[in-house]
Amino acid sequence: MELTDNVLEIRDLVKDFPSVRAVNNVSFDVKRNTVHCLVGENGAGKSTLIKLLTGASARTSGSILLNGEAYTPHSPRDAKQKGISTLFQELNVVNQLTVAENLTLGMEDTTLGFLRKTDKINKMVNAMHSLEPSITPRQLVSTLSVAKKQIVEIAKAVASESDIIIMDEPTAAISESEIKRLFDIIKSLREKNVTVIYISHRLDEIFELGDYVTVMRDGKHIATKPVAEIKDRSELVKMMIGKTVFEQYTPKEGECKDTILQVKNLSNHKLNNVSFDVHQGEIVGFYGLVGAGKTELARAIYGVDAYEGEILFKERKLPPFPDKVIAAGIALVPEERRSQGLFTILTIRGNIPVMNMRKISRGGFINAAQERTVTLDYIEKLRIATSSTEKEAAQLSGGNQQKVVLAKCLFADADLLMLDEPTRGIDVGAKSEIYGIIRQLSQEGKSIMIFSSELPEVVNICDTIYLLYDGNLKATIRNGCAIDSEKVLHIVTGGNVTSGDGGGNVTSGDGGGNVTSGDGGGNVTSGDGGGNVTSGDGGGNVTSSEDGE
Amino acid sequence: METRQVRKITMSGRVSNESYITLFMIGVLVILFGVACVVVPRFYLPQNMINLLTNNWYTIIIGIGVTFLLITGNFDMSVGGVIAMTGVLSVYFCQDATAQQNTLAVGLGLPYGVAVALALLCAMGIGAINAFFIARLKVPSIIVTLGTMMIARGVAQIATNGAQRNTSLPDVFGVLGNFMIKGTSIKLAVLVMVFLIVIAFVFEKKTVAGRRTYLIGANSEAARLSGVNVTRHLTTLFIISSLLAGITGILLASEYKAGVSSRATGYEFDALVISLLGGVSIAGGFGSVLGMFVGAVILSVVTSSATGLLLSPDWQFTIKGVVTFIAIVAQRFALDRRKGLKTPRSTVKGLKTPRSTVKGLKTPRSTSEGSTMR
Repeated sequence: MELTDNVLEIRDLVKDFPSVRAVNNVSFDVKRNTVHCLVGENGAGKSTLIKLLTGASARTSGSILLNGEAYTPHSPRDAKQKGISTLFQELNVVNQLTVAENLTLGMEDTTLGFLRKTDKINKMVNAMHSLEPSITPRQLVSTLSVAKKQIVEIAKAVASESDIIIMDEPTAAISESEIKRLFDIIKSLREKNVTVIYISHRLDEIFELGDYVTVMRDGKHIATKPVAEIKDRSELVKMMIGKTVFEQYTPKEGECKDTILQVKNLSNHKLNNVSFDVHQGEIVGFYGLVGAGKTELARAIYGVDAYEGEILFKERKLPPFPDKVIAAGIALVPEERRSQGLFTILTIRGNIPVMNMRKISRGGFINAAQERTVTLDYIEKLRIATSSTEKEAAQLSGGNQQKVVLAKCLFADADLLMLDEPTRGIDVGAKSEIYGIIRQLSQEGKSIMIFSSELPEVVNICDTIYLLYDGNLKATIRNGCAIDSEKVLHIVTGGNVTSGDGGGNVTSGDGGGNVTSGDGGGNVTSGDGGGNVTSGDGGGNVTSSEDGE
Repeated sequence: METRQVRKITMSGRVSNESYITLFMIGVLVILFGVACVVVPRFYLPQNMINLLTNNWYTIIIGIGVTFLLITGNFDMSVGGVIAMTGVLSVYFCQDATAQQNTLAVGLGLPYGVAVALALLCAMGIGAINAFFIARLKVPSIIVTLGTMMIARGVAQIATNGAQRNTSLPDVFGVLGNFMIKGTSIKLAVLVMVFLIVIAFVFEKKTVAGRRTYLIGANSEAARLSGVNVTRHLTTLFIISSLLAGITGILLASEYKAGVSSRATGYEFDALVISLLGGVSIAGGFGSVLGMFVGAVILSVVTSSATGLLLSPDWQFTIKGVVTFIAIVAQRFALDRRKGLKTPRSTVKGLKTPRSTVKGLKTPRSTSEGSTMR
């Protein structure tokens, strides 16, 4: 059989969801025995594309050719049999079984339902040993590190003669040295007649590993290029974000004076020495990609996750219990709406007042009339589309569910509101309504922290933006002028913080006072005269807090 | 304008799912009762009806605790054991310390009040053990409470050498359990049951703590993030559940003037069954004490008609089982239909459901927006 030059050809691929076209007319080729990287911002359509390739969801239209033949997988299992294996972030290994058992899982040789020892195991084990000799077949998978589990999965894919292995952020959860080992293995896969489709938010990895890169944005295919033809990160970043227009932000009148929250040297399993202040009436945004530590930061402040360091709220140390944190005046809209924010089987009335029951009760007894008034009040205020206060929250649309969660937190009468991905998965209309509410709250003197992986979101409403990468606070931007979104993306994908004036010094926002050094050695890539993240009023306003490694 | 919209929102509220299920089970009860009246001789007599409501007082009292814990998504299988343990201990504490008969007649000789208080403390101790492992260490409740069920019954067996203690007790010991309201056959225990049901009903419907019980069952992570101290709340509930079982144990021991180690065997399952019959969801977040009460009466109608039909007691288990099974399946089925033919526990799969209702919702939304604009 003659092998085609392209192992995979994608033509006019479309995937529609009820309110959005997630993959929009995508066409590109994947060359045989290469490492093909796939990049794009959150929501660019990468995951959906992968789901179409692995048979996890069905395409709306378009075609895929695998080895020159039409390819329509019905399920991930089907895809695997046809030659496309996937290494998901949630690994597909069974911890309680041995390595050997895992290797043959799902394709055991059997006689009348009884397992039979055959050559298959040896073949698998050999494939694995050629990748990583230190893993023994009798070892329990639960004793392996995440990286080694990945290797077991890769070995399985290789031994079952997959043409393509898709890897979805394989380096997200493993250590530096393990990453190096993994990269060696990925590189060696080319000789084993395997093509790798590699997805990562860390752009450096693409330059180290990739032969080709495909950039996606807003569901569309932007470009597919040999990595060698790409000059540097910024070119890639430019392709990823395109021309983002931020026109909605209106600078705050007057200064935010009183500090309400002080976070000093916060560290935990994910965060690394994070410090910042939040002022009264300020909208603060924390921007970073998936895994940057945004949620962990919110959870640490909220008293859910353990931490070292100091968090002062209204000059008092915050106790590490959510109920006490709420009582102190902080409310959180959690990241996962359905599993952390909403009581789906309860009614809207059962949801909205729960964070401030004291307000609708006396001596522990609920005042039903007050409860109803409050619920109606918020249904009205946030325009929650429902016919009744007694409707189950599960029956609402995503946007309205999010409004219910928001209402719940607003009713808590908090002085500081933390919103983790406040507009994830909701439509444009509901989004702008929620932004309106946030702005209004800030005018009322409430402080708001927004944790988001959507740049337009933070840029549209936040007064101050902190950039997070890998648990580190990389830079601070004072909003108010044109923001250089390329620089921002450069930083949150692991690039070094650049300085404005080529002197390694980055100035802070308030007229050029405090100069914090941005050393870290040789990572000063000065931009075009004013390579600051914002071109500001008499002095760049980028504060580098943490730098490099 | 605004007031009109407000009214529009309130008035379109339907009967809640919870009331719907309670009404549904009352319907089932009425039908079963009607059938029993026709088929079973003398079933319709007023005295029999009173018996139906009162004979199960002990199951209903422990059912209160079991129901609330089920609503939080937890089981309490220890209640039967706690009844036996508390009963035996109250006898042991109260028995004459100087009795000269066999060892089972010798107790601590404490005054009755002190004996009861101590026995109830021991019951709450079992609740505290449950709470510690379940609420604090997050061990599944079914495992922990099955363990404490055996521990509690084991204590009862050790204290009675596997039999019972019924000698050298002061007369006061038998008062509580045998006290009757003048001129009726209603025991004090039944009054206690009524009192506790009323309290539980108010707790469930009117108090913040009652509401928190549902929040924990509906989504314990969301409850925690919404400021509910889940650990503390569960601890309280487990201790109360054991206390209720303890009170039942005291009353039963007093009624028979004996502490029997095999008392209340299998009651934990009866309490579970009546809760489920009453519509309490095994997954938590849904159900009511009133429903549990209806469930208890249903069970008692079934058992007593079986007795009335002179079926041998050997048949009772099977009949109970079949009726319970059919009733619970019918109930789930009715709830599914009401929710629009989706399985009640598929809320995870339900991701699709809200999406499909989006279209339906869009219309009222656009109109309400339109009306507020003007």
